[in-house]
Order: sequence, then structure tokens, then C-alpha cells
Amino acid sequence: MKTLKRLIHPDQIRELVLVLLILLIVLFFGSQIENYYSPRLFNRITTSVAILLVVAVGQTLVVIMRNIDLSVGAIVGFTAYFVGQQLAANNDMSPITAVLLAIGVGGLMGLVNGLITAYGRVPAIITTLGTLAIYRTILVDFSDAQTIITSSLPAWLVELPSKNLVEFGNFDIRWMFVWAVLVVILFQLVMTYLPWGRRLYAIGSNPDAAAQAGLPVERTMLIAFILCGALSGLGGFMFLARFGNITVVAGLGLELQIVAAVVVGGVNIFGGSGTMLGALLGTILIATLEQSLLRWAIISEFWRDALLGLLILLAVAADAVILDRLRNFWARTEVETLSDIEAEPLKETPHAL
Amino acid sequence: MTKPVLEMQDISKRFDMTQALDNVSLALYPGEIHALLGENGAGKSTLIKIMTGIYKADSGRVLLDDQPVTIQNALDAQTLGIAAIQQEPMIFPDLNVAENIFVSRRQRSLFINWRQMYREAEKILAQLDIKLDVRSPARGLTLAAQQAVEIAKAISLNVRVLIMDEPTASLSAHEVRQLFKLAMALRDQGVALLFISHRMEEVFEIADRITVFRDGQHISTRLRSEVTTESAIRDMVGREIEKIFAKANVEQGKRLIEVSGLSKDQAFSDISFDVHQGEVLGFAGLVGARRTDVGLALFGIEPADEGEIVFEQQKIAIHSPVQAMKLGIAYVTEDRRQLGLSMPMSIVTNITLPKLREYASSVGLVDNQAENEVANRFKERLSIRTPSVELEAGKLSGGNQQKVMLSKWLNTKPKLLILDEPTRGIDVGAKAEVHQMINDLAAEGLGIILISSDMPEVIAMSDRILVMREGRQMGVFERAEFDQERILTAAMGQTIATESST
Repeated sequence: MKTLKRLIHPDQIRELVLVLLILLIVLFFGSQIENYYSPRLFNRITTSVAILLVVAVGQTLVVIMRNIDLSVGAIVGFTAYFVGQQLAANNDMSPITAVLLAIGVGGLMGLVNGLITAYGRVPAIITTLGTLAIYRTILVDFSDAQTIITSSLPAWLVELPSKNLVEFGNFDIRWMFVWAVLVVILFQLVMTYLPWGRRLYAIGSNPDAAAQAGLPVERTMLIAFILCGALSGLGGFMFLARFGNITVVAGLGLELQIVAAVVVGGVNIFGGSGTMLGALLGTILIATLEQSLLRWAIISEFWRDALLGLLILLAVAADAVILDRLRNFWARTEVETLSDIEAEPLKETPHAL
Repeated sequence: MTKPVLEMQDISKRFDMTQALDNVSLALYPGEIHALLGENGAGKSTLIKIMTGIYKADSGRVLLDDQPVTIQNALDAQTLGIAAIQQEPMIFPDLNVAENIFVSRRQRSLFINWRQMYREAEKILAQLDIKLDVRSPARGLTLAAQQAVEIAKAISLNVRVLIMDEPTASLSAHEVRQLFKLAMALRDQGVALLFISHRMEEVFEIADRITVFRDGQHISTRLRSEVTTESAIRDMVGREIEKIFAKANVEQGKRLIEVSGLSKDQAFSDISFDVHQGEVLGFAGLVGARRTDVGLALFGIEPADEGEIVFEQQKIAIHSPVQAMKLGIAYVTEDRRQLGLSMPMSIVTNITLPKLREYASSVGLVDNQAENEVANRFKERLSIRTPSVELEAGKLSGGNQQKVMLSKWLNTKPKLLILDEPTRGIDVGAKAEVHQMINDLAAEGLGIILISSDMPEVIAMSDRILVMREGRQMGVFERAEFDQERILTAAMGQTIATESST
């Protein structure tokens, strides 16, 4: 039992449960929807995952630090439109320039979020709720209600989403998906091997102790917001490539899916824990569910959002009720095996009247 | 002796009403364990907070190796080699032991070399003879293990002065042994340790020198061999009993509450007492005596696990504050700011809050006029000094806030009033008024439990005194037996003459 406990940690249980849940969803819809296991749907899901994933990675950075970025949908929309417009006006722009432009614009928007939150001491939920509205309004004003249309975009961009790395029959592994997975791997390495990444965990885990330990709390927070904005910018570029036709409502409400993916993926909304692998699984779950529901005639599209909301609530509640207990239980048994000292979990602060 | 590492010279610090430190000096030498003794409010914590950069001194100098230094924040203290271990360790629950140890260290390389980090952490822990898995998360470590991690962290930062503030308060006897072994190992390596504890036997076991503070002043610094428990306690108490209101003799009525064997896991055990109408039962003890927990249990906020409560001849279990209020129990918290009052709200809304439903009209709207009448009545009765009862509670002085809090709970018409540190942080005049109030309420037939760390106050205001130490009842003293030194002796666990410490 003890060795088993040492091999399987609570957070791995959560990841296993996620994998099972994804399989269950696939099996369920397979039985409900005719011709569900088609290459077309598979390709749709992976493309959808790719866009959500890069943004979810950015959100994960912010949430681990006990913050949240609600403006990601607006940043995706704005960069998609802005880069699309530049490309439509100048078809010769190189792909690298276009990508860097998207990342730069997104990063700038993230910088604003970070400055207000880290140095202006405004809670992140308020800051980004404000900038969510502001960025969207800037987009509306900037676009002059014009739509970017696919035919005005350079051919390389329009063809990008259907470019494959490998194909297994009609099942494609698309480049965009591969990029997104590379982003996940890159940031998983950052979180594991860079002092900056570990500091994110420390700050989210115990902000007071982080300040007392002399950690650069504000600077770390600022960089996390910049990265979240930059990754949302990259997401915006991929959004543009996928849809081609961009209106002012591009990416509207995307923050719900992103937060759902991150939270369902086991990133603790109270900070301190979570992995990029978790965010990946959460994203796959959300995207699979979303694309499958699109095909499922029984449920109207309005119910999809409600379902996402329900998932967020369930994930956070499960975290608070089940996983915390599991974690404490695990930690306790672990300590007992190490010393003769009787274990006692961290005390919660006494609650107010 | 050699030259001191750290010298605090003529340090003063004032908070609103209280002079927390008054021209205090203290020198710490390398390779010594220096114990700092004093009652609650003697200024020990303030001095530590100045040493670690949490507070800034109003005046005075800090010298490190004879060089004047300024400590503005935690980072400064860290770079100078000053670290503190609090009673509740500052740990990162989601990080593992090794990361916790090295969290403050400036990284020289770009990447974290986990294997090297684990190796170095293991080396430090081995050097201290601590057995912990450096890979296990800090969540779920025992308090003792967390402290050990903090000590290891201090070592990794080349600590020269290590402050230990009540480190043993929540440890078992076995864990205290381990901590002492660590402390002595550090001393032998030339670290200066400042050790703060209320446990006399520990102080005498481990300290090389002993300093006593009282009321923000430095009273004495002596070698351990020159100090006895009695002389230390005399230095700590020292003062003349101030001329404060004495409890008037009131005819005691029926027995109001009888508590026997009250226990709560991790807090207190086997507490037994009774309170009669018109009686004031004092609760004396030092920080960590868990007197407040007993108060919270009686008021149903943190109900007790075991024991019997008989209230007005009825055997009851108290589960919630609402139930306690209905029975006629009120608890006035020691923490005005966090738990006692809603500072941005007006005096009147604070007072009527617990009984708001009584001011609601038939359609459910609050009758402001009735509210104001009640508030004004209390303003007169307790002489709350304010131009209007509509003023924000946060704008009042500490003493007047205390009166508002009292009004709030008196308005619930209690039979048993639990007062937790009712005069902490208020000025002498307001203090006397609160004492007068306690007398008046007792005369009206209320039973009062007075939790106070102010020894002269408890002695003057109580009919009987229950002394607690670390969750245990050390004895109940009758008025004829009241004596500061005896009570403090009991509160510090020097069990009176009969039992020798082991």
C-alpha cells in the first residue's frame, strides 16, 4: 500500500481521471452520433485544441500565481483582427513578421494587465474584467465594423491550418497542433527548470511568505501577465489562420473555455499547483466536448456554455473537497513513513465570526 | 567575550497609545543562546520585528559588526544574515522541502539543477541531523518539521543571528529535544541565537544569558548562573500594582454556568469552572495559553469536543453563536479590527448588527429611528465620545471602539459576558471606564469571564482567577490567594512546589 501510494500521487490520479473522462466522452458520443469516429471530426478537434491550448498555457502561468486573466478572449480577437488587417493590406509580409507582430501586440496588452495588477495593486479579476471590455471596444472602434475576409489574406496563411506533419490515413497531425504541443513542452520545462517558474509556484502557494523570503513578487507577476498576453496573441494568429473571416466578435467569450480548460486540468484556482500537462488534458476535454456537442442535435448551442460553467464549478468543488483531502492524506502518510513524529496538516487560519 | 555580532542601541518604538519599546538596548554575541523574557506586551515581539525589518524603529541604532546598518525590509535582514523562526513557520505548502530551503537563494545559473539542489539540501539536513525526504512536499509536514526546514533555510543563507520566537509552543516534548539539539549545534558553529519562550525550564536549560523586558523597557541582562526562576519572575512582574478600579464586592446570585472537563482537540483539555451571577472570573495566562479558545467554545464558534456545560441548571451543548446568544451568552473578541467591528460601518449599525431583526418593521425594513435611539442610549451610558452615532466605527479611538463593541454585545442582553482582552491597546482613562463598566455589570447580576493578559487588571477585577497554560488548567485562585508572582509562576508552568519538572 505504501509503495503504491508513493508511486501514484493525488495529482496523477486527477490526470488519470481526466484521461478516463475524455475516453468516456468519446465513447458516449460515439454511441449517440452517427459516423462520430470520422477523420473530419478528429481534425476539427485537434485544430480547436491547438488554439485553445496556447492561450490556456498563458492562463496557467497566471492562475498558478493566484491570479486570473479574463481579457484573453479580447486579446485573441484583437490580435486576430489587427494582424489580419495588416496582412490584407500587405500580402508580402513574411510569416515570421506576422507571428511576431501577433505576439508583440498580445504581449503589450498583457503588459498593461500586469502593470495595473502588480504595481497598481488592483486585483487581477477586476483589472482584466476592465481590460476585457476596453480591448474589445478598441477592436470595435479600430475595425470600423469592417470584416476581414479570407480572400484578402495571403495564400500561405489560408493554407496553414490544413498543413500536416504526418497523416495516418485521413487522420492528420497538423502543424498547428504540433506547435501548440511544443509550446506546452517549452513552458513545462520553464516551470520545472527556471527559477522564475518555481517562483510562480512559491508566490501562489503563500504570498506572504514569498514577500518575507525576499522574492521579487511584483516583477514575477508582471512577467506572467506579459507572457499570458503574448501567448494569447499567438492564439489570435492561429485563430486568424483557422477562420480567415474575422469580425469584431472574434474570440468573444473565449475566456470561459480557457478558464474551464485550465481549472478542469487541475490548475488550482487558489494558486500554488498545476502543470502544463494538466492544462493540455483539460483543453482536450473541453474541445472534445465542445466539438461533439456541435454535432449532437439534441442539445442547443446555448446549452454548451452552461455545460462549460457546470464543468468549472464541478472541477473547483472536486478540488476543494476531494483532492485537498487526498493531498493531505498523502502528505501525512508520507511523513509518517519518514519519521516518528506525529503528523499534523497545515493549520487553516481561524475563520471569522 | 568577543565582540557582539548584532547590537540594538537605544531602540524606541511607539504605536498610537502605547510605547512598545522605550530606549531598549540588546547585544548578541556569536556562539551564545540569549533568552529574552517578558510578559505579554513587554516589547519582545516589537524588537524582533524591528530586527527583521517588519517594523521601523522610531529612534535608535542597529550595529552589525560595529557598523551601523539599516534594515528596511525582509530582504535587508536576510542579506545581513538575520533570520527569524516564528511560532507559525512561513512555509510554502506546494513546494517540496528542498525548494523551501533554497527559495530565497539567489540563483547563479540559469537553470535549476534539481539533482544538485536535492544533494545540497540533503547535505544541510544531514549536517543538522534532520531526517526528512527533501523531495516530499511541505504540505503536511509537522510543525516541528516545518521549523526544521526553516532552520535549514537560515543555514543555507549563512545566518549569523537566528531569532526563535516561541518555537516550542506547539511542539511535543520529543520535538523540543530535537529543536534544542539543533539550537546548540548552531551555537557551536558561532551563530547568535535569540530565544524567546514562556517556558522557564526551557530557558534555564538552554540559555547562556537571560534578558528581561518589562513594559517596553530593558530590566536586566545576566548570565544564566546569576539568575533564578524567582528573580526572573520578579523582574518580569516588578511593577507596583497600578491604582486601578478594584472589583466591588457584589452579592453573588445563582450559579449561572458550570463547566466540567471541557476539552477540544489541539486546543485545550479538561477545563472546569463555574461562574455565578455578579461574579467576575478572571482567566490568566501567557500567549498560547488557549484562553481565547475556551471563550470561542463557550460562544459556539469553535465548539468543544468533550465536557459538560450546565447553563442555568440546564445541561446543554453549544453548537453555534446564534444558540449561545439565545441562551444569553455574549463574547467580546480581543481582535477589534478583524473580528470585533466592521470599521467602515457606522457606530449605530455596528451596535444593532447582532439583533438586527428586532429593528425590522412588519414589512421587513429596518427602523432607523429605533436603531438610533438604542445607539444613543449606549453612547450616554458608556460615554462613547463621538459627535454622532452615525460616525464610522473606524474613526474612533481604540477605547471608544471597545465601548462600541461592548454596546453591541450588551444590546443582546446577555447573562454571561465573556470579555477577551477588553483593555488591550486603549489608554489609561478608557481602561478605567471599562473597569467601572465591568463593576456596574456585575452589580446588575451579570456573570463575567474576564480573559486578560494584564496581570494587575485580572488581580484587581476578578473574584477568582483561573490560570491556564498551553491548554491546561493550572489552578483556580481565590481572592485571598491573589499574588502576581504566584499566578505568573503557575502560568509559566512552574507547577507550584509540589511537582518537579522532568
